[in-house]
Amino acid sequence: MTVQQDVITKVPYPPGDFAIWIVIYVELATFGSFFIGYAFARRENVELFNASQSILNQTAGLIDTLLLITSSYFIVKAVNAVKNVTSTNSEADHVWAARWLLVAIVLGLFFLINKLLEFSDLFEQGIDLNTNKFFMFYFILTMFHFMHVVLGVIILLITREKTKKNHYSRQNCRGIETGAAYWHLVDLLWIVLFPLVYIIR
Amino acid sequence: MTKTAERIWIVLTILTWFAYLLGDLQLVGTWMVEALLISTFVKGGLIIDHFMGLKNVQYKYRLVPIIWLVLVISLVAISYYWTI
Repeated sequence: MTVQQDVITKVPYPPGDFAIWIVIYVELATFGSFFIGYAFARRENVELFNASQSILNQTAGLIDTLLLITSSYFIVKAVNAVKNVTSTNSEADHVWAARWLLVAIVLGLFFLINKLLEFSDLFEQGIDLNTNKFFMFYFILTMFHFMHVVLGVIILLITREKTKKNHYSRQNCRGIETGAAYWHLVDLLWIVLFPLVYIIR
Repeated sequence: MTKTAERIWIVLTILTWFAYLLGDLQLVGTWMVEALLISTFVKGGLIIDHFMGLKNVQYKYRLVPIIWLVLVISLVAISYYWTI
């Protein structure tokens, strides 16, 4: 395939509302700054960071990651179901899309519960934002991400309500694609956060 | 597309377990950090291309998150190697 043909076959704009992609790029820059800040702060305090990191529950981090990637997978299924809508199968595809969205929302809620349990466990040990530099980064990064997941769940709940009312179709799926793009951003950020904060020593 | 999504989900799950086992077995050393960062790049790339749906979109939109991923992972690697 020539470059010219390749350009022609590419879709001109990313899925969803273009404004969400501005938000996504800004969020990537913000979190990216925090990730790099964390990595270079660790360089100055390796022993402190390693000792503090060993207190974290890696299994909880694993569960968080599996919940988010599985949730993202169900969002893809929901969007595909809506894009599959035709005049003959409209009702069934909307029902399936709403179901997949519900599964994704429930997984997102499990993520939030798991994270709250993790925070609560650390607070019970007397660990908070002021404990040391590692936990300052840990709480800022994970709580900031937590707020994004809360917003993502709210967006998905609204999207599900609209899906149940047959609001979307193959020609009109920008709304559900916008919600999906935001949710995948939340997933992408966690994919980097998990090894950086929980694993690398 | 659905089959692709399922394959992507399986790869993401396997790579997540791989990262977890590296940490749990305390195997994270110099070369294992490289493996971990490469696996993180692969996971991020799969999400950008297949879940976010940027694979078939004009390169300029796809390049922003890919460059972000390369930049963040490279700087994490540089900071790690400066400490050893």
